[in-house]
Amino acid sequence: MTKHWLIGGLAGVSALAGLAFVRAQDAQTRANAESPAAYAAGQPIAFPHNIHAGSEPGQSNMDCQYCHFSAERSVDAGLPPSELCMGCHQVIPGANNPQEVDKLKDYHARGESIPWVRIYKISDHAHFPHMRHIAAGLQCQQCHGEVQTMEVLSSRDPAWGGNNMGWCISCHRQEGASDDCAVCHY
Amino acid sequence: MTDGIKRRDFLKVLGVSGAGATLTACSTENVERLLPYVTMSEDIIPGVSTWYTTVCDGCAAQCGMWVRTREGRVVKVEGNPNHPVSQGALCSRGHATLQHLYNPDRYPGPMIREGDVLRQTTWEEAEALLAQRIQSAAGNALFIGGATGPSMARLVDAFVRAVGGRRVQYDALSDAPLREATRIAFGVDELPRYEISQARLLVSFGDDFLETGASPVEHGRAFARMSAADEHGSKGRFVFAGPRLSLTGLNADEWIPIRAGAEAALALGMAAAIAEDGAAAGPYASVVRAYDVRTAANAAGVSEDTVRQLAERFAEGPSLALGPGVGAHHRNATAANVAALILNFVAGNVGRTLHVGGGPNVATRPFSEMEAAIRSMAGGQVGVVMVHGANPAYSLPPSSGFAEAFGSVGFKVSFASAPDETSAMADLILPDRHFLEAWGDSMPRSGVMAIRQPAMQPVPHFDSKQTGDVVLSVASRLGHSLGGATFYEHLRGAHRAMHGSDPAFEAAWREALRSGVSGHDMGGASGPAQLRGPDAALTFDLPELDGDGDLTLLVHPSARFGAGEFANSPWMQELPDPVSKVMWHSWLEMNPRTAEARGIREGDVVTVESPHGSLEVPIRIYPGIREDSVALALGGGHTDFGRWANGNGVNAVTLLPAVSEQPSGAFVTVATTVTVTPTGQRRRTVTNEGSSDQHDRPIAPAVALAELGREPAGEEEAHGELKELQGVGGFVPVPAEGGEPTAFPLEGSRHGNYANAHEARARWGMAIDLDKCTGCSACVTACQAENNIPWVGEQQALMGREMQWMRIERYYEHVDAAEASHLDVRFLPMLCQHCSNAPCEPVCPVFATYHTPEGVNVQIYNRCVGTRYCANNCPYKVRTYNWYRYTDENVPEPMNWQWNPDVTVRTNGIMEKCSFCMQRIREAENRAVVERREDRIPRDGEIVPACQQSCPAEAIVFGNLRDPNSRVSQVVRNERTYRVLDEIINTQPAVNYLKKVTFHEVASGGHD
Repeated sequence: MTKHWLIGGLAGVSALAGLAFVRAQDAQTRANAESPAAYAAGQPIAFPHNIHAGSEPGQSNMDCQYCHFSAERSVDAGLPPSELCMGCHQVIPGANNPQEVDKLKDYHARGESIPWVRIYKISDHAHFPHMRHIAAGLQCQQCHGEVQTMEVLSSRDPAWGGNNMGWCISCHRQEGASDDCAVCHY
Repeated sequence: MTDGIKRRDFLKVLGVSGAGATLTACSTENVERLLPYVTMSEDIIPGVSTWYTTVCDGCAAQCGMWVRTREGRVVKVEGNPNHPVSQGALCSRGHATLQHLYNPDRYPGPMIREGDVLRQTTWEEAEALLAQRIQSAAGNALFIGGATGPSMARLVDAFVRAVGGRRVQYDALSDAPLREATRIAFGVDELPRYEISQARLLVSFGDDFLETGASPVEHGRAFARMSAADEHGSKGRFVFAGPRLSLTGLNADEWIPIRAGAEAALALGMAAAIAEDGAAAGPYASVVRAYDVRTAANAAGVSEDTVRQLAERFAEGPSLALGPGVGAHHRNATAANVAALILNFVAGNVGRTLHVGGGPNVATRPFSEMEAAIRSMAGGQVGVVMVHGANPAYSLPPSSGFAEAFGSVGFKVSFASAPDETSAMADLILPDRHFLEAWGDSMPRSGVMAIRQPAMQPVPHFDSKQTGDVVLSVASRLGHSLGGATFYEHLRGAHRAMHGSDPAFEAAWREALRSGVSGHDMGGASGPAQLRGPDAALTFDLPELDGDGDLTLLVHPSARFGAGEFANSPWMQELPDPVSKVMWHSWLEMNPRTAEARGIREGDVVTVESPHGSLEVPIRIYPGIREDSVALALGGGHTDFGRWANGNGVNAVTLLPAVSEQPSGAFVTVATTVTVTPTGQRRRTVTNEGSSDQHDRPIAPAVALAELGREPAGEEEAHGELKELQGVGGFVPVPAEGGEPTAFPLEGSRHGNYANAHEARARWGMAIDLDKCTGCSACVTACQAENNIPWVGEQQALMGREMQWMRIERYYEHVDAAEASHLDVRFLPMLCQHCSNAPCEPVCPVFATYHTPEGVNVQIYNRCVGTRYCANNCPYKVRTYNWYRYTDENVPEPMNWQWNPDVTVRTNGIMEKCSFCMQRIREAENRAVVERREDRIPRDGEIVPACQQSCPAEAIVFGNLRDPNSRVSQVVRNERTYRVLDEIINTQPAVNYLKKVTFHEVASGGHD
């Protein structure tokens, strides 16, 4: 009797475990199948970070915080309002892909927010105050990777540690920052 | 495995279910979108709060507010420290106004009744319809309005003048008797202004000024300053005279349990004892002579000595007597208030602790105006009736005939933003904006003015429109211009006119919005302070009561619901009533001796029958009520008010007659006798009260005033050998000294990874002065709003699963309803004590709870696996557990817009508790680093937890115990300081309490 009950329970548990496993696998396959371009297609506008922030010839070498304007004074780094984009793109048509700049102009003209797909995300139960990390002298690239060289951002970029506490903690320990749980979790 | 499940079988099972899972797995595109602004306001920095000033409209007190918004959403309201009424604090109901803003039951838009159903319409159609109906009513419009700002009131007056009709102001709770009494006695038609903090002896004749009076926050702060022992060992005394102890009454040092309605007799008897021949009472000399001490004592049902002694102390001054408030309106309430004013006059208080005029400018329109309106509606003289800011179909008894009269009007319009019993009968509903979405002004008392400004865009789920805008638009459709196309223009125009031709108006306007208060004096001079003879008939005798029941029914406003307007706030429903500690349902308070004599027990459902109605309600045994009375709070028994209010409790008004008091015309709440008969059914009381008795444990000890400053007779709180609880080793002796909360961590103790704790510069701690705490529970709701604490509902609360991180313990030490004597009730706000030697920590198998280096006992939600061992091991019962997904299932859209984005929203299976508002500590640290490049310990006073911020009594202080100069350290250095249960179980809490100070000798419950 007990045995059947146990098997039933185990079947349930393993079904759940199997589901989690399969879903993880699924995500992995999808990631492999996706080329950067395919991922970029998910963004409403193919925004090339390298053209804006890169220092190669033909790139604008802009400071990250010109657009992500609140990183040094807020927990949130901030996304530029389309008004800010238009400040330049009023006169810069976009030499490489003018049709992408046109999309921006359309969104702005309609008064609609650009529905960017979120790339960098840590869990809701962890708090990451950008300003403290900037005040400590960190470069954006230390967490986000060499964004200024990337045409397409991806959360699979190996430089981004992802939603991974070990990655946070190793840096905190290395730099002598607090490794107290309640620094981030509250 | 011994049962025979082989590894192979297990793998087979796994394989099968894995295949099944493959079939069900799908590749959902689970992307999260980030939506930037198109054009950004300069005020907004994402992730940083923006604050606006405005004025609360939760009650007539009109406290100044600071509104915290994040990315355009209001997430918290707090008191505005610049505002003279709130002085930075806010009550529970003030916090709960947020739940009205995000109330999911709000009307989705303007609604037209078609038969039995409401059809949503456009504002264009709705306004056109109203204009047309007003036109065809041909001058027979009636506007029933509740309390509102001066500009809105004037606009409505202009509107009804223009379209032909009249305005009737109606408030369910009204201070009309006090206002009328001041007019009769001093010729000033305003409430008097009490200087409670200046009195050394305060006598309340049934005025519940701490919870439902004219200005609870302002009076609460003044009372705490008056009654708390100061550093010189001086303490003001508070005497409460009334048949039932309200929350205000529970804070008294003495209780004189007079008969209901005997306030005038007692006050006049005292006046007679002070002014023997009555001459000092001027035109009232004969009245005072008629009530000599013996007559008064007989009428009130107390001894002559009581009256004489109280009068003697009262005459010493400075003293102050408060006439009966809204909870004690009987048929002679105006006379009782006149009697209290006479007493103040003969004791020389007028001009010292009581100023004639300049008091709270609460709307005090009497019920008698409403009676006239009901008559004209019933008589068919009204073509269109409009109701704004009032719910008379609920707050008036059936015998008033309101429902029938209102129903007979051809066209009924309601401006209610959410359903109520009156709008349920309306033909057209034009939902008003919540005050946090709208413009307005307020004048809490003459000389004080504040602008109400919108703190956010209207909640998009509801197509609402400010009633001022509707009035202007309808007026213009009818060809009248009332000044301004929008109410905003109208308001600015009115204030510009007040400003004269001052070119600096723009600057003054901006400053008024910034500071949240402005000083335009709108008239209202202080009147002469000489008694005048009465120009109306006054009866100082005991009031008549209807029926021949054997118990007097005391109907009083609720500290949580007011007259019922907060009943659809789940925060208020689940907030334990400060007196009875009951949540969600109604109860009838009965003295234990009365109950015993009738064989009634706690929880017995009884039928309460008056000549006007009857209802069934469970009994709550309460020692703070006279044996000849029972009490029922207003606010329950809604039928059309929203999902959290409907069907909860009973409506006490149904037992009352529709009588107005003369000469003030106020609605009478103490009007009838009742009979109480058990039904034989029982109902479990939903309460968070464990016990009202301390059982001789030193939980909330007290110290007598006379004992202050003396060396303690015995030794200091002596710990035995200090032992620390360790996860693996059980109790381990540690060589620690003193056991002071600053001594964290204990020398020699093992705190896992957190060895650097000895070097931390802060030891966060708290001091709570129980001599100041009034038990008002503002901190409880403030904490709930700040920390995303869900409500669990009546059934879960019945199982003891309520989630508030704070609760107010209330212990009866000495409560005697039989004769006048000292009163000793202890309030104790209980929250996580942040023990240095915390019993919860070693039992956690996953280290989800531990100490930070700065001494805060924290709960790491993502680590918690929900064993609940910590809650079992907590001696203070301050940990709460998410049995279900309360934050998902109980919180419908858009109520979840209120969540504080700085605090994790917890899900099921997670333990939680007070974090000392860790998010505020972190925010202050972040600010210190970013703005000042300072090291990490914020300055003293920069971190204010939500409970401290809200406390009207200034009882709570938070700060760094390790800094000897911090305010908390200074407060803690006091002979009254103790820590709950510390000397018994050696938990070494970081929360320090200061003992309550009593005038009498402390018997039990203390440890001296």
